[in-house]
Parts: sequence; C-alpha cells; structure tokens
Amino acid sequence: MQVQVKLFAFFREGRFIKEDRELPEGTTAGTIVDELGIDREEVGVLMINSRHCKFETVLQEGDIYAIFPVIGGG
Amino acid sequence: MAVAEPQQAILSALRKEVQGDTISLAVAQGIANQLNCSLRSVETMALELGFTPQRHIRNGLSCNEQLSLMESTVAIIGCGGLGGRCAELLARLGVGHLIITDPDSFSESNLNRQIFCSTQNLQCNKVDVLARELPLIHPALQISPHCKCFDKNSVENSAVVVDALDSGEARKRLSTLCSSKAIPLVHAAVNSWYGKVGIDKQRTGPLIEDHYSQNKELKKAPTVLPMTVALVAALQVAEVCKLILNCGSSLDQGWLQTDLLDNEYIPIHLKD
Repeated sequence: MQVQVKLFAFFREGRFIKEDRELPEGTTAGTIVDELGIDREEVGVLMINSRHCKFETVLQEGDIYAIFPVIGGG
Repeated sequence: MAVAEPQQAILSALRKEVQGDTISLAVAQGIANQLNCSLRSVETMALELGFTPQRHIRNGLSCNEQLSLMESTVAIIGCGGLGGRCAELLARLGVGHLIITDPDSFSESNLNRQIFCSTQNLQCNKVDVLARELPLIHPALQISPHCKCFDKNSVENSAVVVDALDSGEARKRLSTLCSSKAIPLVHAAVNSWYGKVGIDKQRTGPLIEDHYSQNKELKKAPTVLPMTVALVAALQVAEVCKLILNCGSSLDQGWLQTDLLDNEYIPIHLKD
C-alpha cells in the first residue's frame, strides 16, 4: 500500500519534508517512526489524514501520515 | 491615585485642552498631574471621547478597539523568550493591565533571545525588570508582577492568558487552570528554527493535552534562535489581540506550525 509520510520541524533535518512510501499491509504509525530513526520520546503529535493517531494505529492505503516533534521551549 | 477620580473634571479638561482626534502623552500627563488622578483614567476617558493617545495612533485601530485593549487584562505566564516579547508587544499595542509571572532571574544564556535581558541586569528577577521597563513603553500600563511559579492569582480576571512556559507538565496545569476559569489560553512553543502557536481549547479538542500527552520533559534546555522567538511571540500576540477584539481566528481548529529554515508557515487543520 502507498502512504505519504510528512515530517515537520527538526524531524526533517537529514531526512525529508514528505515522501511517498510503499508499505506492507498492517504497518503501524510507530513502525514508521522507528524506521526513520526517530526517538519515540521526541514525538509530540502523530496525525493520519488530519486526525490524531497513536503509535499503534495501523496505516491504510492512501493515508497521509504526519509526524511532529515535541516543541517545548518558551 | 486619588480615591475618587474626578470624572467630570477630566472630561472638562480633555474638552478644553485636546484639539483634533489625538492626545499627546504630555497633555494627558499634564491633566493627570493637575487633577491628581492616574494617566490611565485620563487616557481611558480620552478614548471614550474619541481621542486616541498619540503613541497608539499608528496601530490604526478604532477608539473603541483601543479602549477594549486598554480595559483588558492579559496574564503572561513565563517571562523568558516568548513571554518577554509578548509583554513588550502587548504594551506597545496598548493593553491596559498585564499580570506577569515568572520565578526566575536573567542569566547569561538568556541574552541570545530574551528582549529585556541585558548585561546590565543579569541575576535580576525577570518580572522586576519587565515591571521597570514596560511603563517606559506604555506609561498608562498597570502591571502586576509575580516572582514565583504561577497559581490562580496569576490569571485572575484576565481576558486572555499567554502560555509562555517551557515545561509540558506546567503547560498542562495552566491549561487545566484556564479551562476551570473559562479563560482562553494562547499557547506557543519554540525550538531552534521552529515554533507553533494555537488556542488551547477548541472544538476539535484540547491542544495542549494532545501535544504534551506523553508526560515527557525535554532532557535538556532546547536551543532557540532569537528570530524564532520574535516571530512566534508576534503570532501569539496577534491571537491575543484578535481574541480581545473578537476578530475570530483560523487557529480555532488546529495550530500554526512555523519553520524559518524552510520558510514555511503551515496551518494545521484538525478534522472533527
């Protein structure tokens, strides 16, 4: 299945802004985070098709999956 | 300030001394001195009569809008990078009362981004420095400084609260406090080239709870560039201003993500 992965803020550094990925059925949101070498502790918000999701959420064909880091400075 | 302010006397003095539709600080201060009342009372009445203080004329707002700002209290929680910039902008805008809360003093590592931090005031309490500097920008400004961690007194009677904290846990506590008092909370956060701004409670759900849900604190203080702070604080104050003036906001269904490295300004719209 095809899923578009979008990265934000410093998650883009050394990676990409957005990328279409061919993924096996059953791939979870957390698997992509791990494959990208992103520390789960640094993840702030995960969204699929503009709705919040969790690491355990299973991606579907055509999903747009966005990964935002925790931004916490004031 | 006199116990009973001579409203009628202020009115007469304004009608006598003000020509055109603006009032200079010198004239307003002169009336206040002459009648032993506060500058704030004179300028508030001037706005009611349609005279704009000259330091606010380039805002281009109507007298009614400027009066709404003058009669509003904004609480700023955290007076570091974002909070200091917000305080400065809100004073220039003409907000009449700022409650500022921060337990910390300025340190050398604040010099890169905190507008009121200088080599002259290192180790000084942040709120004390702001309380000294802000009236030089907006002399009619009432300031309530709290040199401590925030509590319910830090948001008392405020029209809007500014979240300029640097801890997810503290942000969530502030969100709960504002929610219990039904006060809108404008959230912002910065890191390196990146920032975000949003209004906490929205119809698509709680913003701060969603963004800091995992109880994770940053392992070390984030790096923050001064340009990011200036940009994000400006966006945060724009949201405060729109809330006070009832202008509405496109951020009521998500948040705005900013990226100065890629020059992106990305509204994130959440679906219901």
